[in-house]
Amino acid sequence: MGTIRMDRRLFLKAAGATAGAAATTQVACLSYFKKGRSAAAENREVPTTCELCPNKCSAIAVVEAGVVKKLNPNPENPKSRDMLCARGNAAIKQVYDPDRIKKPMIRMGARGEGKWKEVSWDDAFDFAAKKLSEVKDKYGPQASLWSSTEGFQEIFFKNLGLAFGSPNLVRHPTLCLASVNLAYSATFGTVPSFDLLNSKFVIMSGANRFESIITPDTMDLIGGVMERKAKLIYLDPRFTVTAAKADEWYPIKPGTDLAFILAMIHVIIKENRQSKDFVAAYTTGFDELAEHVKQYTPEWAEKETEIPAKDITRLAREFADAAPRSLYYAGRRSSWYQNDFQMRRAQAILNAIIGNWDQVGGMVPNAKLPKGEFLFMPWDEPKAPRVDEIEKNFPLAAKGDGVYLKLRENVLSGKPYPIKAWMVYKQDPMNALPDQAKTLKMIEGMDFIGVIDVAMSDMAWYADVVFPESAYLERTDPVEVMAGIWPAVVYRQQVVKPIHDTKPNLEIVQGLAKRLGLSDYFDYTIEQWVEAEFKELPIPMAMEHMKKHGVWAASGKPTYGKTLTPDFRFVTKTGRIELFSQRLQEAGYDPLPAYTAPVQPPDDRFRLILGRVGYFTHANQTNNVWLNEFMKENDLWINPKPAERLGIRNGATVEVASSVGKVRLKARVTEEIRPDCVFMLHGFGKKSKMQSLVYNVGASDAVILETAWDKVSGNAAFHETFVKVANA
Amino acid sequence: MAMKKKRYALVLDSRKCINCKACAVACKAENQVPVGNTRNWINEARQGEYPKLRIDFEPEQCHHCEHPSCARVCPTGATWMRKDGVVLVNYDDCIGCRYCMVACPYDARYFHEESGTVHKCTLCSHRVDKGDLPACVETCPSKVRVFGDLEDPTSRVHELLATRRYRVKEPQTGNGPQLYYLL
Repeated sequence: MGTIRMDRRLFLKAAGATAGAAATTQVACLSYFKKGRSAAAENREVPTTCELCPNKCSAIAVVEAGVVKKLNPNPENPKSRDMLCARGNAAIKQVYDPDRIKKPMIRMGARGEGKWKEVSWDDAFDFAAKKLSEVKDKYGPQASLWSSTEGFQEIFFKNLGLAFGSPNLVRHPTLCLASVNLAYSATFGTVPSFDLLNSKFVIMSGANRFESIITPDTMDLIGGVMERKAKLIYLDPRFTVTAAKADEWYPIKPGTDLAFILAMIHVIIKENRQSKDFVAAYTTGFDELAEHVKQYTPEWAEKETEIPAKDITRLAREFADAAPRSLYYAGRRSSWYQNDFQMRRAQAILNAIIGNWDQVGGMVPNAKLPKGEFLFMPWDEPKAPRVDEIEKNFPLAAKGDGVYLKLRENVLSGKPYPIKAWMVYKQDPMNALPDQAKTLKMIEGMDFIGVIDVAMSDMAWYADVVFPESAYLERTDPVEVMAGIWPAVVYRQQVVKPIHDTKPNLEIVQGLAKRLGLSDYFDYTIEQWVEAEFKELPIPMAMEHMKKHGVWAASGKPTYGKTLTPDFRFVTKTGRIELFSQRLQEAGYDPLPAYTAPVQPPDDRFRLILGRVGYFTHANQTNNVWLNEFMKENDLWINPKPAERLGIRNGATVEVASSVGKVRLKARVTEEIRPDCVFMLHGFGKKSKMQSLVYNVGASDAVILETAWDKVSGNAAFHETFVKVANA
Repeated sequence: MAMKKKRYALVLDSRKCINCKACAVACKAENQVPVGNTRNWINEARQGEYPKLRIDFEPEQCHHCEHPSCARVCPTGATWMRKDGVVLVNYDDCIGCRYCMVACPYDARYFHEESGTVHKCTLCSHRVDKGDLPACVETCPSKVRVFGDLEDPTSRVHELLATRRYRVKEPQTGNGPQLYYLL
């Protein structure tokens, strides 16, 4: 197994606690409640789990006189490693935001006009239940749409939709990482984690890990790269923070990553550098792969990608030489191009042939932990087929998540059947989906829209009724098991009582269920639910432990190599790692990733590319006063060459127009982007006046993005829009 | 407690800084810093021409100088230095004249409107005195910041400064800054 890297600060803390702790392969998870760390008598310290992004970091809330004063990182969680990012620290301001929805609200004026009446919870529930029942009576329960984004209380919302009788739950993955999930599942039968703590050679395609989100992957990699223990190769049309920290940055021509990967596979196979033993023992379809990639030479790929052939060849060699401690990292948001699934498949195949599967510093199948389940009364499965016709259009896609953009097309066309009620939990389709005009049209077609959220998102702004959810620091939530290389269980418990007239999602769901005649299915409290989950956790005195610590990490070494036994069956059709996929072939897709050159923008247009910055979570938190300070508005990145041609000066207001809309924002003339692309950040130009810091400030990318999706997964393709830019 | 002399300092490995601002928000919460003011910040240097580019980040805050010019110019003695090197403002004595803000070579101080006094980084001495780390150090995801006692030969800061090359900012002022930037 060799020595395992340990980052410096953990080493420092561990060394301070017990000498020799650094020799272990475990991530050091020290106790927060160490001797001497005692709060002053008037303070309380409550362990909980952050909700400001999907990473679920452990935090200790310091409460003074009933007010959350500070959130400290909790070192006991290996998936947050004694850190909280800017967002995590700023969660306090989510609670004490003057823009918060303080009571349930019913719309008085036109949708989006912003005329609201504060009402009692009873009135809000009665109103919504009446409207939902009307739609059910007139069109059937399938005419309701239930859309939500992941969260510990999301399950209650989804269950209400199902109990109501609708098959139409639609979740965020097809706006996010559905293509990665599907590509790795199609190849390995599961989606692994990436052992960046121990990797020596990492390639990232646009996964902007040092800038867009801060998780242990970020921390492991920055430690490795900066201490020269790992080499990072980064491909991105934009010079991001990750590019700045990488050993090599290639401003790849957008949409051509697949050509780069195929050429790498070509070089590795041509030079016989694949892991022959691994390929023979665990994979199927290598011969077909070898034949297939013969056409994809580095010289060919240079023309496609603008990455020199000699560099592609060298990188392929270095990648294979560093195996199994080398990784082509999958990344998070992977919704870029219409070939996204096949591009991720090619990454998975490249990883597979060098034999980094289930190895230290490679890809590791996730270890899981058991948890109990609260047994509630089951309902009849919804009878109608899904409105997005997922079985027909995307036979391999995850049915429970739906395919968002195809769903919107079908809702707009009214086929195969009408959708007339839209319930939304914790999601902002107004900004999350491309082509806002289409979303607005979908909103227009609804007889009823209800939104449950902590803040008045743009979607909530267009709703008929808004149910204010309590912020995470005001709630107790279900227990979450985080599978991974270092699996852990986290618990979110109430830190302070709700400061406004808000409710946790479960109580909102119950209020609606009662009036819809569905109470029997939701006849429990959060305490009963959590208690049932605690029961089967592999922790002695689980409830006491979780209430005291907020997290439990499985101890011992990570279990590498469990799947590397002759009789192990991968969850694929052949039981082996499928380089060539018969299943894909049968479904009518390329069984091996085949390259088609993407259409490039004409001379008078730019490709619009998107990204994230870790101060904000998608379109969220731009209205958080402590985070907004770092970026008060978004701007349009444009290279000086085209800017000069167009007479655009830095800071000038420009109009950015696509075939579906136009926006105005300030230009940032910068060398840090390819001349054929422009970039803008997500989460600005809000329509909701209760996002007062970003209301009508900057621009929303959703207005100009065109509708396109990946053919296999249905994942939104967000980098397929060409725009014109001109001085406004 | 041993009565040995202490000299607190911060060693910064700026190369690891990714400009994530966790330090800035942690400080804001811990020290109730008003919106619009900051006790710590990250300097950015962007240079080059596409595609040969470079970005450098550099976290900064009060340098807790050995010979602080802010203390020298303070007419009331409100700015003072603890025995462990932490430079503090005694708000009861501060008259808000802001000479110190002008005298600071690092622009590390701000005028706190509500109280009419001048504020700055305290190295979270209230936390340090309890045995905890400064808030910015504790929360930092990429482990840029190392806090410790230079007088303690077993400390990590001591080790880093003994084994690595480093620089301080504006040494010519004679202030003797105690933020050490690793090279």
